[in-house]
Amino acid sequence: MSDDVCVSLEIPAETAFACPVAGLADVLAGRAGFDQRERYRFQLTVEEFCLYLAGLAADNRPLTVGLTGKRHQLRASFVFQAANLSLGALNITSRATTGTRNDTDEEMGLLLAGKAADRFHLQHKGADRFRLEAEVDRAYPEAAPVRLPEGLRPPYTIRPGRDSAQLTQAAALASAVYPPWQCPSSFRTPGKFPDMVVDGQATCVLACDAKGQTAGLLAWSPCSEQGLYFSGPFVFAPPEAAANVARLLVDGFLETVARESYSIVLSFRATSDLPEASFETLGALQSFVDGRLESHPVVFRQLREDNGLAVWCAPQLENFLRQTYDRLALPRDILPVGAPAGRPRRDSLLGATYDRVRNFAELEPFLDGEDMTANLAAHVAAFRRQGIGTILYYMDLAVPWEAALAGDLLQAGFAPMAVLPQGGQADKVVWQHEQLA
Amino acid sequence: MSSLLDRVPDYVRTFERYVPSRPDPVLMRQFGVTHLFRLNNNENALGPPPLAQEAIAAFRPERGAIYPSGDAYDLRQALAIRFGKSPDQFLVGNGSCEVISSVIRAFCGPGDAIVTADKTFAVYEWVAKFSGIEARLVPLVNQALSPEAMLAAVTARTRIVFVCNPNNPTGSWWNRARLERFLTALDGRSLVVLDEAYCEFLDDPDYPDGMEVMERHDNVLVFRTFSKMYGLAGFRIGYLCGSLEAVDIVRRTHITYSVNSLGQIAATAALTDDAGHIAATRRMVNNAKCALRDLFAAMGLEYISGAGNFIMVRTPLSDTLLYRKLMREGVMVRTMTGFRYPNWIRVSLAQEQAMEALAKALPKVLECA
Repeated sequence: MSDDVCVSLEIPAETAFACPVAGLADVLAGRAGFDQRERYRFQLTVEEFCLYLAGLAADNRPLTVGLTGKRHQLRASFVFQAANLSLGALNITSRATTGTRNDTDEEMGLLLAGKAADRFHLQHKGADRFRLEAEVDRAYPEAAPVRLPEGLRPPYTIRPGRDSAQLTQAAALASAVYPPWQCPSSFRTPGKFPDMVVDGQATCVLACDAKGQTAGLLAWSPCSEQGLYFSGPFVFAPPEAAANVARLLVDGFLETVARESYSIVLSFRATSDLPEASFETLGALQSFVDGRLESHPVVFRQLREDNGLAVWCAPQLENFLRQTYDRLALPRDILPVGAPAGRPRRDSLLGATYDRVRNFAELEPFLDGEDMTANLAAHVAAFRRQGIGTILYYMDLAVPWEAALAGDLLQAGFAPMAVLPQGGQADKVVWQHEQLA
Repeated sequence: MSSLLDRVPDYVRTFERYVPSRPDPVLMRQFGVTHLFRLNNNENALGPPPLAQEAIAAFRPERGAIYPSGDAYDLRQALAIRFGKSPDQFLVGNGSCEVISSVIRAFCGPGDAIVTADKTFAVYEWVAKFSGIEARLVPLVNQALSPEAMLAAVTARTRIVFVCNPNNPTGSWWNRARLERFLTALDGRSLVVLDEAYCEFLDDPDYPDGMEVMERHDNVLVFRTFSKMYGLAGFRIGYLCGSLEAVDIVRRTHITYSVNSLGQIAATAALTDDAGHIAATRRMVNNAKCALRDLFAAMGLEYISGAGNFIMVRTPLSDTLLYRKLMREGVMVRTMTGFRYPNWIRVSLAQEQAMEALAKALPKVLECA
């Protein structure tokens, strides 16, 4: 059973309630064992979002707030109704000092909330209803040096990864043996990985040798309501046993998730140990690693039969989609969507995450706006300044306005690289910025 | 503003609904084919027995306005005559799936558990899970249900053990001695459901007839169906047979009037003269089984072939990809990842034309992969 600390409440959309809710957030973060710095960031996030959203709420509709303290993370959710929602200040490119924005006090608050949280996510729940989630991560110490297990002997068996010490060791081993691109960031601070497993945010199978020593690891996490993103297989067994251990890990993984609620599994960071026959290659992402151009296959498989979908598609993307669907033998009805006739607001909003170690950033659209092309360019420039070379963008073809952004993406220098079947509400297109840093 | 989903129990919220395949015309349009060989659901390609076909043809449309017999009266009489039992020992449902639900509702409450195999017919596990009942899943041993492991999984909370005999999808089965040892060791600690959906495909004298076993073990319920051998899958007729006491208990949680009139009439007729139909179906299945065994052996593919009108084969590529590629060739198979057999497919054994279509399509799509 989850040991999350949870508080949920409905408050009137009045600024006077922001401070008490922030106090509650601080108590919850303390109760969940977070240190002062994270507690403060969480408190600030909650207070500023409450203040901003209270000002937006239509017809004094109440604001529903959910606060959750997990082992590895604090999470705040806000469900609200707002007509003409504009959250441009939440873009990671927003700056209070650039002088390019006419910041109101409220937007300054939003800017602060966006900076205090590690990431946020906006979901459109239909009509004028939205759900905004913000997360603050626990800080963990970096991995200590770890030695590869010696004298591993068959028979190798698979077991669910639950033991905290073994998970910590396995994550550290993977980080030590495999390149950064192939390891989730939680492996670099191995204490985080077992906490994520306890929190239900990650799941894994371990391969063990005859004496129970760790011989391999394969981990996965949900990446959408339909998809699981996996990392691995990480194999620590001798070369002569590697293929067998990899096969056991992959079969153990697929058997574990076969009757869960997910339709697909995918990865951009599968290791070379992956038994290729179990997966399909959808395309490849490019990156520069130590000055060399490397290609990272996008691997995927479905967990059940695909009997077709309808997807929205802008004219600029149609040839790419038709060729891809034909190559993958995927039955799809392609529905045309034109370029946006008019934008619903001035400022667009992009969700952005990045990882300097993996030289990798990801963008997804939360709100369309007149400045979408410029906003994309600003994000690309900001990532370049951080030295990040690989910049991805995700387009969900179930959402007409998202599909209609193909022109903006091409104009901003992105190119479609792969289609993830059922990777979002429907298929998702992975775009990559063509210019590699 | 809590969502509807917030108001449902966890075991419902976290349960994934089953998405059935689309109608054939839709699939044919989507995959660009003009004909589809259905080798995915273990249907009987010969259709129903002749007398059932006649009964279906003779059904007068105006009878559609009349409710069916609420408890399948005539069909239960026919089953009682066939098996030499009381009509009250039979309970007929809208397919075996409904009967599975009724039994779990009748015998399991909060905190209880069922025991079944990890790689078997999925509906036992599904119904338990979305009813808030724990499903304790026991790994197969050598592609067969392990009586020892299943016994070891039984606890004081276990109310039902589901034994699919022969097992779908491996076709393995317990013989008389193995089943008897299992029931003796279980010693009545829980109900045992013997699901014999595919029993009519077997003619081995060592196969234990559940109808006879239940006479010696009053904790045994036998499930059978008209969907497989009898070719009446479209009418959804399944039934259970057990002791008067056990069936009376299940009847309390079973919805009456759930079985349609035409299905009851067709099933009753099917029992009347089925010997020729069963013999013809067995011949068709055996011929197809031999042909596919030869095909898979020639292609160097590992297969599992036991009892029943199906065969499983391990594929050298993702089973879900192979499914799509075979669909483009007009052949529909069942992917086995959902049965916890990743990269295996199950193929129903049917007439020569369908088997030839598969024999032509499979090497073609594997060569292109």
